[in-house]
Amino acid sequence: MLRTVFGRLGRAVSVGFWVMVISFAVMRIIPGDPASARLGGVDAAAIEQLRKQLNLDGSIFHQFKTYILDLLHGSFGVSLQTGRSVKEIIASTLPLTVYLIIFSTIFAIILSIPIGTAIAWSGRAPIVYAFRGITAVILATPNFFIAMVGILIFTVRVHWSPVFGYEPQFPQNLKYLWLPVVVNTLIMTSVISRVLFSSVVETKQEEFVETGIIRGVGRRKFFWFYILKPSLAPTVVLLSYMMGTMLGATVILETIFTLPGIGREMVNAVLTSDYPVVQGILLIFGVITVFLSFIGDVIAYALDRRVKI
Amino acid sequence: MRIAKFKEWLSLPGGFGIFSGILMLGIMIILGILIPNFGKYKSDAFVGDPFRPPSFQHPFGLDQLGRDVMTRTFSSVGIDLGVAFLGVSIPLIIGTIIGILLGLAKNKYVLSLVGSIIDGINAFPLLIIAVAMLTFLGSGLKSVIIILAITNWARYARISRTRAVVVSKQNYIEAARTLGFSKRRIVLKHIAPNVSSETVAYALSDFILVIVVVSGLSFLGLAAKPPMAEWGSMIADGRAYLAQSWWLVIFPGLALCWSAVSLSFIVEGISRRDRGM
Repeated sequence: MLRTVFGRLGRAVSVGFWVMVISFAVMRIIPGDPASARLGGVDAAAIEQLRKQLNLDGSIFHQFKTYILDLLHGSFGVSLQTGRSVKEIIASTLPLTVYLIIFSTIFAIILSIPIGTAIAWSGRAPIVYAFRGITAVILATPNFFIAMVGILIFTVRVHWSPVFGYEPQFPQNLKYLWLPVVVNTLIMTSVISRVLFSSVVETKQEEFVETGIIRGVGRRKFFWFYILKPSLAPTVVLLSYMMGTMLGATVILETIFTLPGIGREMVNAVLTSDYPVVQGILLIFGVITVFLSFIGDVIAYALDRRVKI
Repeated sequence: MRIAKFKEWLSLPGGFGIFSGILMLGIMIILGILIPNFGKYKSDAFVGDPFRPPSFQHPFGLDQLGRDVMTRTFSSVGIDLGVAFLGVSIPLIIGTIIGILLGLAKNKYVLSLVGSIIDGINAFPLLIIAVAMLTFLGSGLKSVIIILAITNWARYARISRTRAVVVSKQNYIEAARTLGFSKRRIVLKHIAPNVSSETVAYALSDFILVIVVVSGLSFLGLAAKPPMAEWGSMIADGRAYLAQSWWLVIFPGLALCWSAVSLSFIVEGISRRDRGM
């Protein structure tokens, strides 16, 4: 057990290192010089200054060494636009995004478990077809369109949700957050219940389920231990992957709902060519995704030792 | 006779999904060719008062500048599906080739190096790495295609590599070797077709994701630029007028959904046929 987990941790660390290399490389593999692109190539001294600030001077190995050392000292650079440190920007915007995702995930899990298992257990063709059809449509729809339809219904027609803006205090902020959470939950519920559905369909055919029925195991125990637990492993792996994708999707969702999260910060940084902020946020996204998939794999392994991680 | 055969094909698992998916996609593509080319209006022509609601003359209404929304919605078909097609097929080819080479490679260092790079690229959500690279490459549809080629190949390479390892251990490869076929012939005629069937199947489902990413980037104002008609940027433009003029957002959005859903029906149908249920 421990050995497998440590092996997986080793892989997560090595992927984490490559995530760092890629965040470093993104600014450099593109032809041309970001510093002169940003300044418009007029003042040679200013360009040189900016190159230094962006860690673009010296050999590529020297640049990489400086980059890694800075990261190890906890320095992500400084925003070119506002002069705030990137670390500070991330620390102030990330929590909102994380709450958004965590709440959507919790609601999605609460909804998916009954939906996925009940439909798989009933196995009635019309219900299964309707379920597959509806979830396929939701999954093929971009989140910004779902969000737009949500705004059209809940903001424009019935005024349950404010048009835009945000208040950070606790009870007031729910007014702004509930609609984005609903949109995210809808998408995540479709994915998770689909996987749980096919996973339960597979579990149903296992021999131990029949044994459970023959032995007359109590209803509740039968559901939790014979049906749900063996079906959960693939769902957990997918869930961790899905949370990463959802993190990416917040870039769009936060822009629509004008929420001051990390996704909107990234879009603003892209639009103003604020390179250090983009680079820092990219790295954070990568690290979080690697971490999530590590946790997901370990939980899946703990639930079902047959899972290869 | 032909009809009977078609009916039989349709009744097989997933047949209905594949058929309706292809039909839906076909309708969209045909309208995408007919309406912009042979319709009454041009996609960037001002044909009436702004914000005219849907009417018999303009079934999808007019937008904030008085352009015909229906013409614009359907002239986006070629752009959205075209960019997504390039954004899928280029990585498909690159990734499949790299994957096959990795599957056959023996050098441990090369394997672990390229393997790690692949894992590293795949660690980022596609939308995030695309947004980040657009900062440095400059926004535009051409950049989007380049970025998809740079980043998306890694997903295909992973699938293709796993498959190539499995395929190269099969008996028929062994048989081909014993028959004294050249390495080149074995790779091209025996391994590549078996590997690519898998990556092409993935490409179809990836197509949906890439359409969503391309339109999402346009929605953020990073891909298609006005006055170009593109679903994502049309939705973004219409966002400001959502309260008064819902048709600016709903029609391009429905077209986007329609295309993605048709592809997902095809994907689902094919996977059901493969599993035989």
